[in-house]
Amino acid sequence: MEQFNGSDRQQRGERRYYSRPKFCQFCADKSIKIDYKQVDLLKRMITEEGKIRPRRQTGTCALHQRELAGAIKRARNIALLPFSGEHTEEDR
Amino acid sequence: MNKYELVCIIHPDLDETAFNESIEKINGWITDVDGEIKTTDIWGRRRLAYPIQKQREGQYVLITASIPPTNIVRLEQNLRFLEPIMRYMITVAK
Repeated sequence: MEQFNGSDRQQRGERRYYSRPKFCQFCADKSIKIDYKQVDLLKRMITEEGKIRPRRQTGTCALHQRELAGAIKRARNIALLPFSGEHTEEDR
Repeated sequence: MNKYELVCIIHPDLDETAFNESIEKINGWITDVDGEIKTTDIWGRRRLAYPIQKQREGQYVLITASIPPTNIVRLEQNLRFLEPIMRYMITVAK
């Protein structure tokens, strides 16, 4: 995420190019089950702000992206994943 | 009878005996609505991703059970009024 230049993107209204993996990791390995309880897996699929990573970044296929989105939303409901960013000690 | 998963976040200030009591209460409600408990998995204390009721930690419990679909509403009504439950979620298990 360091190379991400937000203001530049906004000005030109362009999507940044990511050299994405050209295969869906869930199709490649059928043993991976997408489940809201697998926090470590889902953590990789969200950005630092807590947004769901787009397919062009993760290379997930449409079918598994939908499943993933559902799982992330469930995990958010029970506070396993943040809705927005990380909460630090200061914000009480 | 469908298979369901119930995740509860229980208040972190509860001590072990009170914690076990509330789990037994939940399990009792499930059997009350003609449900059948398969497993009770206690995850223990976890840091919450965001504060709930000004708490930053919670005690997680995962219960899988077979419950008749029409009785879920009755179970939810009970869960809503148990004070130490900060959050719960019922999902259909695959």
